[in-house]
Amino acid sequence: MIDFHLDEEQQLIRDTVAAFARERLRPAGHEADDSGEVPPALAQEAWELGLAQATIPEACGGFGQEPSAITGTVIAEALAEGDLSIAAHVLSPRLVIDPVVLLGNEQQQAEILSDYTGEEFTPGSAALLEPSWGNSAFDLKTTAVLDGDDYVINGDKCQVALAAASPWIIVYAAADNGIAALAVRAGTPGLDISEREKNLGLNALDTREIQLKDCRVPASMRLGGDASDLIRRCRVAQSAMAVGVGKASLEYACDYAKEREAFGTMIAQKQAIAFMLAEMAIEVDAARLLGQEAAWKLDTGGDAVREVSIAKSYAADAVMMVTDNGVQVLGGHGFVRDHPVELWARNGRGFAIFEGLASV
Amino acid sequence: MKILVTAKRVPDPETTIKVNADGTGIEEAGIKWVVNPFDEIAIEEALRIKEAQGEAEVVIVSVGSADCQEQLRTGLAMGADRAILVSADNPDPTAVSRILEKIVEQESPDLVIMGKQAIDDDSNEVGQMLAQRLGWPQATFISELELAGGGGSATCVREIDGGLETLSFPLPAVITADLRLNEPRYASLPGIMKARKKPMEEIDASSLGIELGRSVTIVSVQPPPERAAGRVVESVDELIAALQGEAKVL
Repeated sequence: MIDFHLDEEQQLIRDTVAAFARERLRPAGHEADDSGEVPPALAQEAWELGLAQATIPEACGGFGQEPSAITGTVIAEALAEGDLSIAAHVLSPRLVIDPVVLLGNEQQQAEILSDYTGEEFTPGSAALLEPSWGNSAFDLKTTAVLDGDDYVINGDKCQVALAAASPWIIVYAAADNGIAALAVRAGTPGLDISEREKNLGLNALDTREIQLKDCRVPASMRLGGDASDLIRRCRVAQSAMAVGVGKASLEYACDYAKEREAFGTMIAQKQAIAFMLAEMAIEVDAARLLGQEAAWKLDTGGDAVREVSIAKSYAADAVMMVTDNGVQVLGGHGFVRDHPVELWARNGRGFAIFEGLASV
Repeated sequence: MKILVTAKRVPDPETTIKVNADGTGIEEAGIKWVVNPFDEIAIEEALRIKEAQGEAEVVIVSVGSADCQEQLRTGLAMGADRAILVSADNPDPTAVSRILEKIVEQESPDLVIMGKQAIDDDSNEVGQMLAQRLGWPQATFISELELAGGGGSATCVREIDGGLETLSFPLPAVITADLRLNEPRYASLPGIMKARKKPMEEIDASSLGIELGRSVTIVSVQPPPERAAGRVVESVDELIAALQGEAKVL
C-alpha cells in the first residue's frame, strides 16, 4: 500500500523543472537578491513553461491539468532549489489561480482566470498574514462583513507578495461563517498598498503591507466555502519550497567538502564535517517525506490537518538547521557572498516565521 | 513535410561514470538517463522547422531497450508528434543504421535529423552510415540549417577543422546536429501532459528482416588515467625549468 514512486509524468515534470531551475534560476539568484528584482524575461520564460497556470480549466481557456498537491510539491521543491525568491515570484500566479480553480464557481472562474490565460506573465497575490501579535492563519483580525450585496473588508495585511503588480489579490478575512477568501481587483477603492517591505531574505520578491479600509467587494467575489483547506495546500507547497532550499545548501556543502582540503585530507572526511552533512541529508529527506505524505492526504481527500501542520513545522525547522550548517561547512567562505549558502540561510529563515509568505 | 529525428538513451552528462567490476562497460546502477544532448538539438531543430512551416510531422525514433520510452516521452513532451520504439538488445552503430534504414523506408521522411554523435560511446557513425545506405545526401556537424524551395532543398553550415563549410543539397537528406545549431527548449507542463496521449509504436527489431549481429566487439572498458595534481611554482625560472626538464615541452 505504500509507494514512493512518482509516476512517469511527475518524473518528467520534476526533471524538466529541475533543469530549468538549475540552468536559469540558480545563476540569476545572486544578482536578483542584490537588485531586488526578478528579471522579467525569466518570469516570462517560466510562464511559457506553464508552471503556474496549467491547472486553469479548458472552459476558461486554460490547459485543464488536474490540480494535485503532490505535483505541486514536486514543482515547488525543484524551483526553490534553484532560487527561492525567483521561484516565489514565478509561482505567484498560483496565489490567485489555485483558490479560484479549487473554490470558485463558473462565473468567478470566467472573470478572474481570463486574466491568467494570456501570453504574458501575470503575477498573482494573496493577503493572509497580519502584522498583529499572535497572528494565526486560522484566527484572522481582518473582517469581511456582509452589507447588502457587498462584503465590507477592514484590516491590515503584511508580506503580501506582488500586491502592487497583480490584477487580483485574494484576501483572507474572518467572516460570520469561517475564513472567507475574497477576490479583490487591483484598484478597488479602500485597498491601499504601502511601500515595499525590506526583508532579511527573499530580497528579489516584492512584498507589501496593505490596508483595507471599508473596502467593498461584491458578495459574488467570495470564493465558495471555507478556505481552510486552501491554506493547508499553501502550507504544503511552502514546506516543499523549504525542502528545496535545504537541498540546495546540502548539495553545495557536500560538493565543497569533497573539494576543500585541510590538514592533508578533504574536509568531508573529517568527522565533524561528515556528521553535519549526514544530519543535513537526514533532515532534508525527513522534511520531504512528511510534506509528501501531507500532499498525498490532501489529494486523496483526507482530513490532513495534522499531517500538514507537522510537515510545515518540521520543514521550517529543518531548513534553518540545514542552511545554517551549510554556512558552517564552508566556514569563512560560507559567510561571504561569493558562495550562495549565505543567501540560502537568509531565505530559509522566513519559513519558521510566516504562515503565508509566498504561499503557493 | 515529414521529419524523422532520433533520441538515444544515454547517461546524464552530469552523472559520475564508473567502469563496472568486470571491465565490460559502465556501472549502470543509480544512473540517471536522458536524451542524448545532440539528439535533443536535432529534435529542437525539427520542431523549429515545423513551427516555421506551420505544417510538418515530427516523428521521433529510439533504438534500444523498453526503457527508451522515457526518452521518447521527453521528445513528445517537447513537441514531437509521435514516437517509434525499436526494441533491440545492445545494438552497435552498424545495426542501428540498418534499423533506421528500414524505419526510413517505412516512414518516407523528407529529412532525417540526428545528433552528430551520442555522448556515451561517441561513435559518430550512424548518421553517415544511414545516409550511405539510403543513397541520400548527408551534412554532418551542422551549426545552421535553412530550407529552400518549399522544403525541396537545404543549405547547411557545418563546422569543419579550421572553419565553416556551406553545403547545398536536395532533400531527402540526413543531417547531424552540432552543439551550436540551437538551444533546445524545456518541455512545458502542458507539453508533458499532452505527451501521454501521443501515439508510441513499438517494433521488434527482429521483425525488420535485417542482420543485427555486432560488427564491433568491445574488448574492455577502462577509465581514463588519473591526472596528477597541479603544483604551484615559486618563480618563472622554476616554471621554465620544469617545462624543459620534466614536461619536456620547451
